[in-house]
Amino acid sequence: MKRKITLYDLRITHYVVWRRLRQGVQAVALLLFLYLLLGTRQGGVTFLPHDLFFRLDPLAGLTAMLAGRRWIASLALGGVTLLLTLALGRVWCGWLCPLGTLLDWTPLRRPRADRPDPLTGWRQVKHFLLFVIFFAALLGSLTLLVLDPLTLLFRTVTVAALPALNALVTAAEMALYRFGPLQAPLELFDRAVRGGLLPVAPSFFGQNVLLALVFVGVLALNAIRSRFWCRYLCPLGALLGLFSKVAWLRHRVDETACTACQRCARLCPTGTIDPGRHFAADPAECTLCLDCLASCPTKAIAFRGRWGLAPWRGYDPSRRQVLASLGAAVAGVGLLRAAPAARREHPHLIRPPGARENDLLSKCIRCGQCLQVCPTAGLQPSLLESGLEGLWTPVLVPRLGYCDYSCHACGQVCPTGAIPQLTLEEKRQRVIGVATIDQNRCIPWADGCDCIVCEEMCPVPEKAIRLEEQTVVNCRGETVTVHRPRVIRELCIGCGICEYQCPLHGEAAIRVYVPNTLAGVP
Amino acid sequence: MNEITRREFMRRLLAWGLGAASAGTQLSCGSEPTPTPRPTPRPTEARAASTIQPTFTPVPTARPTEPPAAAAPAPTSTSEPAATPTPRPGDAYLAVARGESPAAIVQAALRALGGIERFVKPGDDVIVKPNICVAYHTYEYAATTNPEVVATLVTLCLGAGARRVRVMDMPFGGTPDQAYARSGIGEAVQAAGGEMEVMSSMKYQNTDIPQGRDITRWPVYQDVLKADVFIDVPIAKHHSLARLTLGMKNLMGVIQNRSGMHVNLGQRIADLTSLARPALTVVDAVRILMDHGPTGGSLDDVKLTNTVIASHDVVAADAYTATLFGLTGADVPALVAGAAMGLGTMDWGSVKTEEINV
Repeated sequence: MKRKITLYDLRITHYVVWRRLRQGVQAVALLLFLYLLLGTRQGGVTFLPHDLFFRLDPLAGLTAMLAGRRWIASLALGGVTLLLTLALGRVWCGWLCPLGTLLDWTPLRRPRADRPDPLTGWRQVKHFLLFVIFFAALLGSLTLLVLDPLTLLFRTVTVAALPALNALVTAAEMALYRFGPLQAPLELFDRAVRGGLLPVAPSFFGQNVLLALVFVGVLALNAIRSRFWCRYLCPLGALLGLFSKVAWLRHRVDETACTACQRCARLCPTGTIDPGRHFAADPAECTLCLDCLASCPTKAIAFRGRWGLAPWRGYDPSRRQVLASLGAAVAGVGLLRAAPAARREHPHLIRPPGARENDLLSKCIRCGQCLQVCPTAGLQPSLLESGLEGLWTPVLVPRLGYCDYSCHACGQVCPTGAIPQLTLEEKRQRVIGVATIDQNRCIPWADGCDCIVCEEMCPVPEKAIRLEEQTVVNCRGETVTVHRPRVIRELCIGCGICEYQCPLHGEAAIRVYVPNTLAGVP
Repeated sequence: MNEITRREFMRRLLAWGLGAASAGTQLSCGSEPTPTPRPTPRPTEARAASTIQPTFTPVPTARPTEPPAAAAPAPTSTSEPAATPTPRPGDAYLAVARGESPAAIVQAALRALGGIERFVKPGDDVIVKPNICVAYHTYEYAATTNPEVVATLVTLCLGAGARRVRVMDMPFGGTPDQAYARSGIGEAVQAAGGEMEVMSSMKYQNTDIPQGRDITRWPVYQDVLKADVFIDVPIAKHHSLARLTLGMKNLMGVIQNRSGMHVNLGQRIADLTSLARPALTVVDAVRILMDHGPTGGSLDDVKLTNTVIASHDVVAADAYTATLFGLTGADVPALVAGAAMGLGTMDWGSVKTEEINV
């Protein structure tokens, strides 16, 4: 009889190779993730779709389609991940997920295997989060997708890590540039990293410290249990875990060869090898890292294909848990919709061009690609501007960066159409706000001195800011002629370059407010 | 003392590094170098009289190390023409060339000035500064300098033996890469063999402006001051405060904190010109923007004038260009201030002006 070739056979001679291979794939996937992230910039070109990882994310894809009530073809690629999971289990988590890789690289504490893990019950938290996310998506809210591991990592790198790196490199460059002999190499270095690894202009994101702390917190949980995030919290891990319950490739232990040495149980990063169950692993928790293969002194462990439902564990979802998460989702969405932001919009809630508020809340998966692509870093993660429901959705903060008249990149990179794809011509017509002058602070109005920066900057061909010549008595009692700016509301598109460039320190004397429907704009 | 393992050391280092990085980001907010305007701007100060030069022969500031003899070459010396902005006998002070081919009129204007060799010596490091102020429109909208004009200058400089010709500007609307591409200048310059440089923040340094009357210190792009030859290639445009954006106003592209310039703009532009003095100014008036400058965006505001104006004297070139808008130099505050500081003459009728039709 011809024996089927299984991983078991390969293991006998090459078991370490599998671990090395897994580590290599993890490193490549993480580098690919970062490469695609850096390629997500105005005019950036990558050899794979820049949003490949989000397309492969079935959690983001399914919930975005549920909440948006429509089919999103590009996100259907998440089905490939689900099929992969049905065949091989949670390989996504162990081999591909860039956050999982970083967690593997974070110094960790191993649980003691000789007694039952008291935290095992916590594993159901991730299922609870998963169901809440799904039910909330049915109700049209995607707020909790901030917990998706890919959005978490992408957002943190964009908002916290890269700007900090840029600030450090720029400061070092400027300090070293004073030394003559270093100038030529610094120029070479600068030309090499700008526009690729680092942006040309510095970016300043609100909540960067908060997001960094959240991320460090996720890593720090490793001190309690290795891959704490993946075991107990990750909603994508929960989704893939449920599919893994019926996955084909399974961890098997040859009980006759096993000496109960506990090495594999101590080594398992998700702690799913249970000495109390003859060292069996739950396929819903196993990330196929294959560390146990190499650890077994008697080669009693193998991964073999077999169909069937894996045994249900105490922490696996129950009907009660599903009902509880349904209740939580309904109550949570109700609370979010009863927040003040639902009654009266924030005066400076300037959304990316073409994005409608309700659409945005039900389509934005919080991936942060628009923040990364915005060339002025004017798109910022919102905190409470649109209520807690709109947490970390994009909002334009013109004082930090304007909406560039020559750019329509945010709509091009948005994976769900929360920011619609507009041509540059369409985008230039799209009204995102209206500028208003504070005559008490504006230099020509308040001080009787010329300024006109806002008029000069206005990109609208007919100029939405016009100057009126006025003879006034200034604060020194002199009679002078000044040019006072006025906003032509019908022409203003709200791009905010006037607010960005206003020479006043602190708050600008011209500010962009939400579009004014009274003026006849949509 | 406790000994720590390498792993522990690395772990602590990482923690400190992350802490320092986030602290650094917070601290560096708003650390843009603070320019120092003179406390009391008084353009009519008494010392103005002493700096006005009797003749309008600017000292070549772009080449500070050059011996003074080169600034006043002997009339008969033709064997080895020294590269100098000052016109030699026979050279036009101001050249105005008209014609349908931008390349041909640039070449004709330079010929009238005595050839590019008057300005560029073999081995020189040349910086050409067009106006690429926004990334919004193609050059037909007359918001950015004509790419053919810029590329022709690059070709001429390289033909004269320049070691390196760099072209740069820092747009206020959009990114440099986008602006270089959309204006058409990036492609044209590279085809001509020049380099497009994205202006790097590390090269701006607070610089004293010794002749400054209003501003005496401002963050200026150092390469522009260090280059052997600095060529100013503005496009002639309407501007609501400066009246016109010409050669002097175009120098705003080599500094930081531009919005801070807008108080007493004319004098401040003249102060800046006294520091970053172009050796040669070639005003692109192939298309001029009559209204809604400096950004433009409507072809209705564009007038086809098929002209370039060239001179070593930026004030004279700008003053002539003002006539294309129905204005005179006296209407442009920066030119009045520049002439008062002895940076050049607005009275282009009193100098040797050569008008060429190609």
